[in-house]
Amino acid sequence: MFPSLDISTSALVAQRARMNAISSNLANLSTTHNEEGEPIPYQPRFVVFEPKPIGSHGASGVRVNSVEIEDVEPLYRYEPHHPDAIQEGPHKGYVAYPNVNMMTEFTDALEAARAYQANLGAIEIAKDMSRQTLRILA
Amino acid sequence: MLDPLFQSTTIPVLEQVVGFAHARHQVLAGNIANLDTPGYRVRDLSVEGFESGLRKALEARDRARAVSRAAPAASPGMAGYPAESKDNRALIAHVAKDAKTILYHDDSNVGIEHQVTEMVKNQSRHNLALAILSSQFRLLEAAISEKA
Amino acid sequence: MNPIQNVPAPLSIPIPSPAAPQANPAGPSFKDLLTQSIQQVNTMQHDADRAVEAIVSGEDVSAAEVLTAVQKADVAFRMMMQIRNKIVQAYQEVQNMRV
Repeated sequence: MFPSLDISTSALVAQRARMNAISSNLANLSTTHNEEGEPIPYQPRFVVFEPKPIGSHGASGVRVNSVEIEDVEPLYRYEPHHPDAIQEGPHKGYVAYPNVNMMTEFTDALEAARAYQANLGAIEIAKDMSRQTLRILA
Repeated sequence: MLDPLFQSTTIPVLEQVVGFAHARHQVLAGNIANLDTPGYRVRDLSVEGFESGLRKALEARDRARAVSRAAPAASPGMAGYPAESKDNRALIAHVAKDAKTILYHDDSNVGIEHQVTEMVKNQSRHNLALAILSSQFRLLEAAISEKA
Repeated sequence: MNPIQNVPAPLSIPIPSPAAPQANPAGPSFKDLLTQSIQQVNTMQHDADRAVEAIVSGEDVSAAEVLTAVQKADVAFRMMMQIRNKIVQAYQEVQNMRV
């Protein structure tokens, strides 16, 4: 009764962390420099899940192992008057934009939302089961 | 005379569980109310602490019972009962008092899902203990009124 | 002269003593059955109490098992009580019989 609640909760927490990563990717679609002001574009982040054993019957919940930073080439756009334009080298005059694919991120967001709802449904069912169990006592 | 009536059932134990669940609910509700308060630390009553305290109290009570049963000559009739029952009640009441002091603070980012889940689990424990408690009282009433 | 002495002693009819009910060699007596049932009800009550203490102490028992044990003890106790009521009623009826 209780381990199933813990397992579903771990999934809720993990999906929320994933949603955070996706939201930060979407928010930083056009971030061309980092916190220190260097012209290094935002790199999209993604979360890595791993199973976490809960309870005594071999059931496992989920845990966020780490939040990784994707190592992809940025997209270059020719904007020579942009303050973050590259001054020398092969990409002179280009600004490096984050390589965040809005469609992919949004689809992942939908999947995270659905997974969240599914786990909420599982919690509802677990709660209902424990409530019905009290009916043994008539 | 009336104390042993309840000591022989699980009613005192269940009373403690219901009381603990009630106290824990207040703490968890306070957490959820303060979810957005800056600098607020999540608080909880330790369930493991309560359960281990209860286990120890039950074992102590069983030992006391075994002793008084093994030496019936030492505790003649009803005179032996009050001493034993007071100890049992004191042991089990001690657990509840300790439970209120096992508040621990953590600063992990548990968030609202965890708090709500803990509330649901707490509610399950509370309802289970309450249902068994009611059934025990009904049984006692049936025995007293001789009307099954 | 002593005609009474010539009368043979009447055959003694064994009066069934109410204290020792006739033990049917095929099975236990009613008294044994009764005490056995009472013991069983007591055992079930104890089992239910153990189960409740186990789940409250955090051991790995499922709530369904505990509730079933409690309900079984409950039903057994109430049944025993009804049997006891019927026995007392029957005894009182016998008492009220005019001899």
